[in-house]
Amino acid sequence: MTFPHMGNIWVGVKAMANKLNVDLVVPPPTSQRTLSLGAKYSPEMACLPFKLTLGNMIEALELGADTIATVGQYGPCRFGYYHKVQEEILRELGYKFYMVKESLGIMNMVKYLTNGAPLPEIISGFRFGLAKLEALDEVEKVVYKVRAIERDKGSATRIYKDAIKAIDSAEDYKALKRAEQEHLQKLTGLPTISSPDPLKIGVIGEFFILIDPFANMDIEIELGKLGVEVRHPQSIREWIRFNPLLITLKLREKDKSIRAAKPYISSHIGGDGRQSVGEKVLHASDWDGLIHIQPFGCLPEIMARNIMPSTREKLPVLDVIFDELTAKAGMLNRLEAFVDIIQKKKRDKICA
Amino acid sequence: MVKVGIPRALLYYQYYPMWRRFFEGLGAEVIVSPPTTQATLASGSSRVVADTCLPVKVSCGHVLALTDKCDCIFIPALRSIKKKIYNCSKFLGLPDMTRAVIPECPPILDIDIDINKGKRRLYQAIYKLGRHFSWNPLEIRKAALAAWQAHQEYKELMVNQGLTPPRAIASISGEETTPTSPDKAAIALVGHPYLLYDELINHRLIHRLEQAGYRVLTPEMLTAQELETAITRLTGRPYWTYEEEVVGSGGHYLESGVAGVIGVVAFGCGPDSLMMDMVQRQAIKLGTTPFMSLTLEEHTAEAGVVTRLEAFLDMIQRKKRKQADICV
Repeated sequence: MTFPHMGNIWVGVKAMANKLNVDLVVPPPTSQRTLSLGAKYSPEMACLPFKLTLGNMIEALELGADTIATVGQYGPCRFGYYHKVQEEILRELGYKFYMVKESLGIMNMVKYLTNGAPLPEIISGFRFGLAKLEALDEVEKVVYKVRAIERDKGSATRIYKDAIKAIDSAEDYKALKRAEQEHLQKLTGLPTISSPDPLKIGVIGEFFILIDPFANMDIEIELGKLGVEVRHPQSIREWIRFNPLLITLKLREKDKSIRAAKPYISSHIGGDGRQSVGEKVLHASDWDGLIHIQPFGCLPEIMARNIMPSTREKLPVLDVIFDELTAKAGMLNRLEAFVDIIQKKKRDKICA
Repeated sequence: MVKVGIPRALLYYQYYPMWRRFFEGLGAEVIVSPPTTQATLASGSSRVVADTCLPVKVSCGHVLALTDKCDCIFIPALRSIKKKIYNCSKFLGLPDMTRAVIPECPPILDIDIDINKGKRRLYQAIYKLGRHFSWNPLEIRKAALAAWQAHQEYKELMVNQGLTPPRAIASISGEETTPTSPDKAAIALVGHPYLLYDELINHRLIHRLEQAGYRVLTPEMLTAQELETAITRLTGRPYWTYEEEVVGSGGHYLESGVAGVIGVVAFGCGPDSLMMDMVQRQAIKLGTTPFMSLTLEEHTAEAGVVTRLEAFLDMIQRKKRKQADICV
């Protein structure tokens, strides 16, 4: 079985598969080759996530995978349509595989993938996978803070990479907890610069690009190098934490931003467009700036971008749009210029 | 009398007779923006971010053309007209976006149509819209029923007589329409109505094809049944509201023995980037009907479109000649 990459999701999926004895092929880490393969066989105007996930699938099939699990969901974003086209493309390329998709119904999907394992086992496997993702998220949050103020640039990123490895190899909850604590301690123990007052910049936008470091060209690491503390409201954690109480009371971060966007977008427009506008409204006073990232041609985010300038709450926003031709140097230049402007604005405010 | 402005863009081609009957039934005057011009497009694109799709830019231009001519503008948010099938983001957020990018715009009458929320909510939405004009629920009901009737007649006109939407609208308004002779070879156009019938953005595609001696078939001329079978054959369960215009009609026409199929897409259209691709793959797989995909954007030069069209028609001619030779 295989599945397309999306940030560090593979750590969780791998943990689940191991618990349930599913023979899992983790696609090779997303690379330039993945992108080239994906872009070559994708429709020209499909968005970056489409091309990357297609590339992942091809590379996994090359390694001998025979079942692909995808997420497809009905909604206004293109995302839910992906698997139809991707399946067609892969079949035309001559691969033989079985695609597990939403139309089977969620229970059948789980049953097929786990070879009919008993339900309690499935649930416990699922929980362990989620626990890993939560641990990763916990570490990630601290990394964002430390990156901005560490004395030796790059050490937090190194520890983070170790943490991913350690969490991935943790066999049980105990080992997982230990790995998490150990790396958190290491991170907080790093020497910092003398007078830390980093800029706080929110990174928001389309979910896939947000959490996939290859797709967003490590935008968070680069911002850290510039001495910026990244705020990341739409983390994986938000996505996977099933807390029925919070959901029914509508108290999740997501719901908060949706409520905040209400005066500007009255209802669902698909994808994460509504949240993007909401984050700007919510954090206009406590953040210094906003970086809005999205794949080229993303429908919901284009709508968000059209609406964002008209909000009463003002906050500097930089739009960074990614596609397969985006050059990292161009992005870095823009980030630097943006950070400089905000820094100056902040200084002026203090002086005045 | 209240003047209601309707932009000649996006959903206009599908629902105009229905809307007009509804508003006129409630005693309002309906004003439609003039056909798209270069100026409409330019003013529209100056308001939105660059990668917004062409039809939305056109729609903004039409709203701008209406701003000082009417008391309110009707921009519906059509979320879903079939269970669990959603429309594209652009349609969902259209009223909100228009308000954001055109602050000087007169009040926008928006109506949320979402079948997933049940019939009751639909009726409530219609009533809420009617309330702007009348306090009497019965009058609103009457206007809504008449509007629905008008919509059915409009659709029938297109399916039975093979009229394109602009011609059907003209014929409803009492103008003479010349029926096309059914013996000519046919070219099918596949795509959204706001691309096929906007003569500026598609550079008078239909006119050009007719000048070249072809009969033009469009998605509106097919029955719901035909469209649905074609979609099921190609992609299974439909995903987008207007999937039938592309996948449905494309799938149908490719196997209906027309001389050629032209797929018209707007640059940057999210749904079409995947749907037209499915049609194209089907065309390659079948290998019987010539297929051309034409991408339109605001910079598309007329000469470019004409050249491609000529080449495509030449190819069809050559194919025909070759087949004739074989027969001899």
